[in-house]
Amino acid sequence: MNVTTLPQAQPAAEWFARVRGGQVDATSDAAWRAFVSEPRNEVALEDCEAAWALSAELAGSANIESLLAEVDRRLAAPPRANVPRWRSWRAAAAALVAALGIAALLVLNRGGSTQAQYDTARAEERVVNLEDGSVVTLNTGTSVRISYSKEHRRIDLLHGEALFEVAKDATRPFEVHALAGVTTAVGTRFDVEVNAGSAAVTVIEGTVTVSASSGSGAAAVPVNAGQAVDYTAAGAVSPPHPADVGRIQGWELHRIVFSDVTLAQALADYNRYSEVPIVLQAPGLESRHINGVFRIGDEQAFLGALEQGLHLKAERGDGQIRLVEK
Amino acid sequence: MDQPTPSDGPLPKDLFRQPDGAPDPDAEAAAEAHQAYVTLLFNKYRAALQRYLCRFVAPDDAAELVQEAYFRLLRRGDLVRIEPMARAFLFETGTNLARDLRRRRATRHADQHVQLDGQELAEDHQRPDEQLAGEQMRVILERAIAALPQDTRTVFLLHRYRDLSYPQIAGLTQLSPRTVARKMAEAIERLSAALGGTS
Repeated sequence: MNVTTLPQAQPAAEWFARVRGGQVDATSDAAWRAFVSEPRNEVALEDCEAAWALSAELAGSANIESLLAEVDRRLAAPPRANVPRWRSWRAAAAALVAALGIAALLVLNRGGSTQAQYDTARAEERVVNLEDGSVVTLNTGTSVRISYSKEHRRIDLLHGEALFEVAKDATRPFEVHALAGVTTAVGTRFDVEVNAGSAAVTVIEGTVTVSASSGSGAAAVPVNAGQAVDYTAAGAVSPPHPADVGRIQGWELHRIVFSDVTLAQALADYNRYSEVPIVLQAPGLESRHINGVFRIGDEQAFLGALEQGLHLKAERGDGQIRLVEK
Repeated sequence: MDQPTPSDGPLPKDLFRQPDGAPDPDAEAAAEAHQAYVTLLFNKYRAALQRYLCRFVAPDDAAELVQEAYFRLLRRGDLVRIEPMARAFLFETGTNLARDLRRRRATRHADQHVQLDGQELAEDHQRPDEQLAGEQMRVILERAIAALPQDTRTVFLLHRYRDLSYPQIAGLTQLSPRTVARKMAEAIERLSAALGGTS
């Protein structure tokens, strides 16, 4: 292979990477103008863009998949069998939330079985990693109780909404109990929401079975990826209907994760998503490192965490939010 | 083709101003400003875009796609007012259009497969716009990706094939977001250099 680095490649590649990361603003205007006024630079930037565009065509190829699998193995040590591949960043997110210590947690160990309860308050979300590699993402205002033993994996959704990414374990079905119904999976990804006396089960990947009553008499309804069913506390399971998978994925995606970044960096990142910029006016705090998972758009939760954690006060006015010392 | 064509030159400063929070009573003025902005952007980069799209499709097709990209941008109200990002958006739109065109052509050729005799098919396969997606390019790119240094490869793979943002990748890899951006630059530089041998 003939690999030569052209003299103009580096600034072009840097611009390419900065633009992709959204790391440009009005202050980079002059630098951009100087860069782009040079025709050789423009061509070098186009080379980068062409390489990026062409690399998209390799998505899903065996070689790329095996490189990705290697990345997953390295990032998610120790490796576990059949863990979904997005587990790794979830694990990081969960660790961060745990570090913030927001949610109440109760763990009881009884003869080889584990029980724990996780709750989220309003405007709080939480990712919980289970011992088998399954991941539960709690939406706001949610409580789940988790009971694992050698024979079963049982989750009770007491209220709210949770997304389940289930690690395969054919010997221990994964059961989510909500109201009187049970959703059973072996390895898949699905969402259960309890709201005003009825429950909705949405399947994103794989297949689950849903029965409206945990009693043995009820027939289990199979629900496939892209489908949803509803059931009430008393009634039967509805026939499967097309699901609003986008809503659930949107809920998942509208999240911003800070992993040991400086406060200055975190604010810069957050400000890219918010209409009203947050400005730090507390000297010396710029370089403080912070961790956390926040929902994009939920400014109140973000500001609240900063106010509490760093003893700051948020003041609004003049089209910005100023963080000052309390 | 008969679009307004304002004179070339630097973009006026006020076009880069972010819309202020207050609801704009004059939506028409906003639409006009948007059109003016897109047109300026387009005039500044149309030649470059045309040249760029010729990498993927025949020159005639490229000229059409350049126009189509312009109309698409006009219909999008939310174009970022930061020039390098807006330009990247223009090029990405063009690239997507080129990809769609090639896929449509590929499907049509597949449909015609039964009607065409072997000779015509052989000619089809030599079209310049079919070559880029060819096996040779794939092999070169795959090798170049596999040959990236470990961290650089990790950053590239997660950003390209998992759609993770720089902060997300930073969170996973213990690299700072700044380092992630630097690794991305290094990756794309090496891949572009690897492809340079074939174009």
